[in-house]
Amino acid sequence: MSYVLSLLILVPLLGSGVTFAVSSLRGGRRDASNLAAVFAVATLLVAGYAFWSVYSHTPALGQYALTEDHPWITLPGFGVDVLLGLDGLSAPLILVSGIVAVLSILSSRSLIDKREPAYYALLLLALASVMGAFTSLNLVVFYLFWELTLIPMFFLIGVWGGDRRRYAALKFIIFTFAGSAVMLLGFLSLYFGVSASTFDIPALAAMGIPQGLQYLPLLAVFVGFAVELPVFPFHSWQPDAYEQAPAPVNSLLSGILPKFAGYAVIRIALGLFPQAAYQYAWAFIVVAIFSMFYGAVVALLQSDLKRMFAYTSISHMGFVLFGAFATVLSGNPLGIEGAILLMFTHALATSSLFTLSGFVERQSGTRKIPLLGGMGPRVPLTAALLAVSSTAMMGIPPFASFLAELMVISGGVSAYAPSAITVLVPVITGGYFLWMLKRVIIDPSPPGADPGTAAKDVSRADATVVALYLVPLVLLTVFSFLILSPAAPVAQWTANLVHGGLHA
Amino acid sequence: MPDFILFAVVALSAAALAVPFLQYLGKRGNLPGYLLIVALLVALVSTVLNAATSSTSSAPFGALLVSDSLGNLFAILTLFVTLFVAAASLTLVPSGRSSNSPFYYSLLSFAALGMVLISYSADLLMLFVAWELMSIPTYALAGFQKKREESNEAAVKYAVLGALSSAIILYAISLTYGLTGTTGIAAAAASLGSQLSNPVAGIAVLLFIVGFGFKMSIVPFHMWAPDAYEGAPTPIAALFAAGTKKAGFVAAIRVVLAISTVYSLTPHGGLFTIPNILAVLAIATMTLGNLAALTQKSVTRLLAYSSIAQAGYILIGFVIYSYGQGNPAFAQQAEIGMTGALFHIINHSVMKGVAFLGAGLVILKLGSGSVEAFNGLGRRMPVTAFAMAIAFLALAGVPPLSGFWSKLLLFTSVLNTPYAWLAIAGVLNSALSMGYYGWVIKRMYLDEPDGEDSRVLEPTSFVLILGVLVALIIAFGLFPGPVISFARDAVPALGGP
Repeated sequence: MSYVLSLLILVPLLGSGVTFAVSSLRGGRRDASNLAAVFAVATLLVAGYAFWSVYSHTPALGQYALTEDHPWITLPGFGVDVLLGLDGLSAPLILVSGIVAVLSILSSRSLIDKREPAYYALLLLALASVMGAFTSLNLVVFYLFWELTLIPMFFLIGVWGGDRRRYAALKFIIFTFAGSAVMLLGFLSLYFGVSASTFDIPALAAMGIPQGLQYLPLLAVFVGFAVELPVFPFHSWQPDAYEQAPAPVNSLLSGILPKFAGYAVIRIALGLFPQAAYQYAWAFIVVAIFSMFYGAVVALLQSDLKRMFAYTSISHMGFVLFGAFATVLSGNPLGIEGAILLMFTHALATSSLFTLSGFVERQSGTRKIPLLGGMGPRVPLTAALLAVSSTAMMGIPPFASFLAELMVISGGVSAYAPSAITVLVPVITGGYFLWMLKRVIIDPSPPGADPGTAAKDVSRADATVVALYLVPLVLLTVFSFLILSPAAPVAQWTANLVHGGLHA
Repeated sequence: MPDFILFAVVALSAAALAVPFLQYLGKRGNLPGYLLIVALLVALVSTVLNAATSSTSSAPFGALLVSDSLGNLFAILTLFVTLFVAAASLTLVPSGRSSNSPFYYSLLSFAALGMVLISYSADLLMLFVAWELMSIPTYALAGFQKKREESNEAAVKYAVLGALSSAIILYAISLTYGLTGTTGIAAAAASLGSQLSNPVAGIAVLLFIVGFGFKMSIVPFHMWAPDAYEGAPTPIAALFAAGTKKAGFVAAIRVVLAISTVYSLTPHGGLFTIPNILAVLAIATMTLGNLAALTQKSVTRLLAYSSIAQAGYILIGFVIYSYGQGNPAFAQQAEIGMTGALFHIINHSVMKGVAFLGAGLVILKLGSGSVEAFNGLGRRMPVTAFAMAIAFLALAGVPPLSGFWSKLLLFTSVLNTPYAWLAIAGVLNSALSMGYYGWVIKRMYLDEPDGEDSRVLEPTSFVLILGVLVALIIAFGLFPGPVISFARDAVPALGGP
């Protein structure tokens, strides 16, 4: 048994405690962020190693690498194991979580200036539970880590957020808690439902849940994912939470948390309930396409940068759902491969945009698009970064987001030709991003607005952080096989569940 | 084998009878409290030894008491609760010259003795005597702050309804005796089982549910609870939520669930079966408790309603257990459900103990128990706020804290049975409860204090008590195995006691 994945969870967990204890005692202004950065980098290294071992020895269909099994509760008639494992679906996600966490901590250095020990400790705690959620192969443990992520996020939004942070934090916790509680019901019903008496995902998948028992759990589980992803109409917490969270926290909140749901759709909804998912795939695809358009159109109407990015996220997460269910419908693994790549690229692109929104707000005192004109001449570096990040988000080469969206849409078209209409989504997205860039960068400052005379451009350190978010996106355009080759067996395995190797 | 139960009874009786004399010796201060703590420790050690040695000796009480693991669980639990209530009372209850602190601790000792005897009761009359021994001192304790109007109101309301519930239980006992000719619980249950067609048997069972329901504060027998919890001194509110309520549960397990081998109140199944009745009570209790808690402005009232809601979750285990009595196919679920119920009873005592004691300290130090007093508490009283936040999260069922596992067992047990809707209701209620738990946590950590924001001194002894309890919440969450085993061993065998 290897202990790499335990390490992946324990390093940030330990880091959380050490950061809080040491920086509270020493009280230096930089101690907390330095320590947190060290632990985050260590986590990233472990994640990198874990990713590499999955890449170099891609597990066979339906198999996992680096598995660990620690019995937790063993009673006659009831057992829960901490079963950890990694495959081509989770490996990219832990890698991107590691990257985002490091960069988020680095960008916090200039954006967070109160109660740093608690802030960084909570950030690392969230990172630990994110890693736990992505690596656990036991439904109860997965739920446990999912829930455990929400608590630090609640405090991170509520203490360090914007003016309406308390409202946003409470709304966030109530919505996501309710959603995941319904999801838990779906998990629990499997225990006695299929007489397997286990919560282990591989065991449940191997025995095959009878189709009649798949529908209700699928529905329950989907409600949980729909809140987290979020999907219309379960999204109302999200624009508030994204808007009020401090910019570096947005990187986790919008970059990583929705991927829980994207991950779980593929791992649990499709992996455990394939026949039910196949039967109602059309319904999920309709929901997904509606979300894609809804997010894009509503984003168009936003005047606040962060709210705009938030709705863009809804639209992009619709892509993930679309790709996943397109594969189920058609048996063509392209959809899931695209969805996995898209989760990776979206995490980075959205994190860079939200981080920038933090810098913009600090410079200009506002995030309102109509009040921001004239950034081009005033703060050229910020404007340039914003333009580049937006390009990444729009899905334009040379950023891998382009590739991911292309794969998802192709996968979708191969499942159901009229869904080609979704090519309009990137068009709309491109349209409103360009319009935003025109208003923010090219247009002159509006006469009534405070132009922020004292505005300083982003420091070189901050600019580097944003650029670092974008570098992997460019590299991935060329080296996309790094993600796609381990993702292929997962996609193929999921497709085979219904289509029995038709496209193998 | 030594008679450990006797040791416990003697220790508590001695403390209860001896402590009041301190009043006449002029020793008012904290001495009575310390004496009681010593007595409680002796009793606690005796019951733990009783459990550890699996002693089955109930001498010299004969058939009146039964020394089994269910009794051990509740005796240890209620003694532990009384112990931390007594320890917290040293801080929270005035012990100056004009106080009557010796009587306070004496009454507490009587109540503890009552709870221990209820836990081990094997005879209806013994149960009733113990029930009164527990109840009557708590009426006085509820009204202990005799100059406070709310305290008086709480005491009167609680005493009147308490007396009513005692009368109902007594009536149920007399009906049972009339039908079966015995007061032994096991014999009575077996005999009632052969009288299915007699409607009087059904009435007796219903009356037991109602009578015990008052103490368990299940809806619709809960109306005394919010007033009593708010008006009583806060450590006594903690005793109600964490102690006497649990005595109600053990009585219900011993009597109602034993009789539920009768299973159906009507000859051929039908709607009015014991599990159906309990299921309706469960859903009403959890839903009403949570909805009412959402609207409260006083933290003690909020906790009272949350405590009602938690009783609803516990009842889920009772439902599936009594259902399993009649349907052997569901025996495994019944065992898991009852294990979950017992585990949740343990957890609830600890969680509510923290919440009420924390609230008590806030009331003592800030002079107000309204939710506004909790604004910015995270900075003013960091230990209390942290302890309460952990307790609230555990009550809401957030993993990996203790409350999560017990709810998990409870909900898992009823899914895939005809009572699956109870699990759905329970989960939705848990989500709903986040509305008020999260709201208080938000006030403690996200909001700024109103007015004064100086640091408030938290007494070291009190911090220690909260620390132990919070450590238990976290430890039971991270390592639930041993406690679950303990609870599982205490589950009475299906098919009667």
